[in-house]
Amino acid sequence: MRIVHYVNQFFGGVGGEEAAGSPLEERAGAVGPGLLFEQMMGEGAEIVTTLICGDNHAVEHQDEVVASVVDKVKKARAELFVAGPCFEAGRYGMAAGAICAAVQSELGIPVVTGMSEENPGTDLYRESLYIIDSGRQTAEMRGVMVKMADLSKKMMNNEKIGSPSEEGYLIRGLIRDEFVEQTAGRRLVDMLLAKVKGEPFESEMVSTFFEPIFMSVAVKDISNAKVMVITDGGLVPKGNPDNIEGMAATRWGTYNLEGLDDLKSEDYEISHGGYDPKFVQEDPHRLVPLDALRELEKEGAIGELHNEFISTSGLGNPLSNTRRMGKEMVEKVKEEGVDAVILTST
Amino acid sequence: MVQVTSAMPIAKMIGSTRVILGHGIVNVTGDPTLSPEEEKKLRCQLVQQALAALESEEKI
Amino acid sequence: MQLTLARHPVTEINFGDKTRLDGTSLLVDAEELRALLLADDRLQSVDLETVRAGENCRVGPVFDIIEPRAKEPGSSPDFPGILNTPATAGMGTTHVLDGAAVTVLIEGSVADTEGRVGRVLEMSGPAGEWSPYSSLQHFIVAPHARPELATHIKLNATRRAGMKAVVYLAQAAMGETSAETTTFDAVGPMVEGREGLPRVAYVGQIFSRQRSPEIDEKVIYGANTNGMMPLLLHPDEWLDGAIVPSYTLSLGGAETYFYQNHPVITDLYRRHEAGELSFVGTVATIAGSDNEDRDRNCQAAANLAKWSLKPDAAVLTKFGGGVPHSDMAITANLLEGAGIRTAVMVSDMAKDRRIESALLFNFPDVDAIVYCGGVDTIWKVPRAERVVAGHPDLTEALAMSQEIGAASIVGILNQQGATRLRAVIY
Repeated sequence: MRIVHYVNQFFGGVGGEEAAGSPLEERAGAVGPGLLFEQMMGEGAEIVTTLICGDNHAVEHQDEVVASVVDKVKKARAELFVAGPCFEAGRYGMAAGAICAAVQSELGIPVVTGMSEENPGTDLYRESLYIIDSGRQTAEMRGVMVKMADLSKKMMNNEKIGSPSEEGYLIRGLIRDEFVEQTAGRRLVDMLLAKVKGEPFESEMVSTFFEPIFMSVAVKDISNAKVMVITDGGLVPKGNPDNIEGMAATRWGTYNLEGLDDLKSEDYEISHGGYDPKFVQEDPHRLVPLDALRELEKEGAIGELHNEFISTSGLGNPLSNTRRMGKEMVEKVKEEGVDAVILTST
Repeated sequence: MVQVTSAMPIAKMIGSTRVILGHGIVNVTGDPTLSPEEEKKLRCQLVQQALAALESEEKI
Repeated sequence: MQLTLARHPVTEINFGDKTRLDGTSLLVDAEELRALLLADDRLQSVDLETVRAGENCRVGPVFDIIEPRAKEPGSSPDFPGILNTPATAGMGTTHVLDGAAVTVLIEGSVADTEGRVGRVLEMSGPAGEWSPYSSLQHFIVAPHARPELATHIKLNATRRAGMKAVVYLAQAAMGETSAETTTFDAVGPMVEGREGLPRVAYVGQIFSRQRSPEIDEKVIYGANTNGMMPLLLHPDEWLDGAIVPSYTLSLGGAETYFYQNHPVITDLYRRHEAGELSFVGTVATIAGSDNEDRDRNCQAAANLAKWSLKPDAAVLTKFGGGVPHSDMAITANLLEGAGIRTAVMVSDMAKDRRIESALLFNFPDVDAIVYCGGVDTIWKVPRAERVVAGHPDLTEALAMSQEIGAASIVGILNQQGATRLRAVIY
C-alpha cells in the first residue's frame, strides 16, 4: 500500500515558527509522525513520500500548494493520503483540510486527517472529511495515530465506517440510512427506560440549532411603502408554468398581479404536497390576500402593492436549498425597490 | 418582512422575527366557514395586523 | 377488560371449494367471498389473488395491509365503527391467522407525490428482504368501485371490502383448535403489585389535520376524527380493530397490520410481563391544523396522561408528515414539564443529508429521540416475474426493473415503530 503523508514544518523537522514561510518540499519515505503511522498500518504499508510545508506558506499560497500536492500525490501513485494530525494548530489544520478535500475529490483515494474540535480547519472541512479527533495535546500522538490508522484500514478495505464515537472522528454533521437489528418501537422503549432510570442513553438525533435571524429595521411609514407578497404555499398560475415542485421545490416563480383586483380560482392551482389545497383552490385569497391588499392600497393604508407576487412550495426542503432560493428572492425584492414583504406560510 | 403562518412553532423555532398567526394551515388568510363578506373582513384585519408588525421595532 | 388472541398459523393460502383451515393451509372459496364483497353495490368487481411468502412478485398500489382476524361470538365486534356498531374493542377472543395478511389494493396512487404505482408490496429481491410483509402469505383483494363515484366513496368501499375479507377469512379458524393462545396480563393505572417499576404510558397520534379527513373516512371507531380531543384507550383497543390508518399515505407509512401488531404497544406489553415496567395505558391523539387546535390537543393529551395514568414516563409517536413532529414534541415537552420523562420517534426529512436541515423541534428536555430513516435508501429492483396490480394499466409500470425508494415499499418505513431503517448521524 502506497501512502503519501503531509506534515507542517514543525512535525517535518524543518523548524519552528521561524520556518513557517518555508515552501512545499518533498522527501522520500516517512518523516516524524509518519514513522509511527507506517508502523501502525502494519505489514505492506509504506509512506513513499512525505510532503512538508511551512504553515504560513501553505495558507498564503493555498491554491498553489493544494494543486502541487495533488499533483505529487498522483505522481506517487498513492492509494492513501494522510495529513497531520494537526491538533489545535489553526494554519496547519486549514491547510491540511484544504489539501485533503482536494485529494479526495480529484484523485478519489481515501483520505484521513486529525485535528482538535477547536481547530478552524475542523469547522471548514468536517463535513467533507473524516477528521480524527486528535484533542489538543501533541503528547497523545500515539493514540491519535492508532485511530487514524484503524480508520485508514477500514477505508482501504471498503469496510463500513462506524459512528463518530466508535471510530474517534469528529462528527461530520451528515445523515445516512442504516438497517439495524431492533425496530424503532423497541428502541423507543429502550431509550425511555434508560432515561427514566437515570441511566445513560444515546439519542439518535441531536437537537437542531439555527443561526439567529436578525431583526430587519421597521418600515418607517407603511402608508408610503411598496409592499410585496411572497408565499410558500405553492399558489401558481394554472399549468404551473415554472414547474415548481410540490415537494422539495428547487424553483420559485414571480407572477403578475398588474390590473388584477382579485384572484380567480380558475386561473390558479396549488403545487404543494403538504396540505389539503381545496380551500385555497376555492379562493386563492386564502393564501395570497390580494383583495384585502388592493382595498388597503385604495384606502392609502399602504403606498403601493408591488405588481407581482413570488411563490414557491415549502415542503420537505433542505435548508441549503431554501437558503439559496431565499437569497435569490432577496435579490429580486431589492431590484424591485420593495420596502416590505408579507410572507404567507402554510 | 412579516410572516403570516399557522405553523407558529416552526416559525418560532427557527427564530422568525415578525410572525402573525394565520387562520389555519389550509387557509392562512381566510376562513371557509365564514360568508364571503365576513371572510374578506377577516382577511383585511389579518393584513392590517401584518402591516402593523412591519412598522414595529419589537419582535412579534 | 381482557383480550385473548387465538393464533392459528397459516403457511399457505390456496383457492378451494369451501373456505376452511386445513391444518396450516387456508383454502378460500373465491366465489363466496366475491359475492360477499359485491353485496356492496358501490363495487362493480373485485379481483382476488394469492401470493406466497418470498415469491418473485410485486403487488401494488397498496391501500392497506391487514392481519386476518375474526372475533368469536360474544366478544366485542369486528372492526367496531366500520363493520359493526362502535362498541368497545378488545374484549373476548380474537382468532388470528398468524403468518397471513390481506393486502388491499387501489386502482391508482392516492398520493401524487409517490408516483403512479404508489406503494408496492415487494415480496422478494434486495428490497423485499427488508420488509416484514415479504415473509407473510398474502391474500390480495383488489376492489373496483364504480368509476362515477367520488374518490372518498371509492376509498370507503375499498376499506370496507378489506375489512370484510379479513373477517371472512379468519372465520375459517373459528372452531379450530389454535396453536397458541395469548392472553395479556392486566395493564392500566390501577393494576396492583407493580410498585417500584416505572409507570409507562404511550401517547400516539392517529391522524394529522394537514389534510381534512373525508366525511366517511373511518379512523377511530368509525369516526373521521373531526372534533376529536385526545382520548384514553386501553392498549387492546389499538390491537383489536378500533383504529385504522387514514386514506392518505403518510410519511413513514402506517398500516392496519401494525395497529393489530402495534410495535410500541406489544413491546410495552412484553416488558410489562417481564417485570421491567408497569404499562399504565395509552392516549390517542391527533396533530392539529392550526395553533389553537395544536395547543388544545397537546395540552389535553399531556393532561389526560398525567391525571388519568399518572405515568413516570411516556413514549410518543407521530402520524403524517413533518408538521406533526411539532405536536408530538410540544406534548412531550408538556409531559417533561410535569415531571414525566419522554422518548419520541421522528422521521428523517433532511433531503440534503445534513443535520442542519433535519429541522424538527428544539426543546432541551425532549432529548431522547429515535430517528427513523428512509430518505436515501433506494434499491434497483429487478423485473418482477409476477405482478398483481390494482388496475391492469399499471401492470407494466409495476413489473419493470426500476429504482424504488424505501418510502415506496410498504413495510420498510413505518411510523408505528415497525421500521428497522434508522437515520444515523455521523
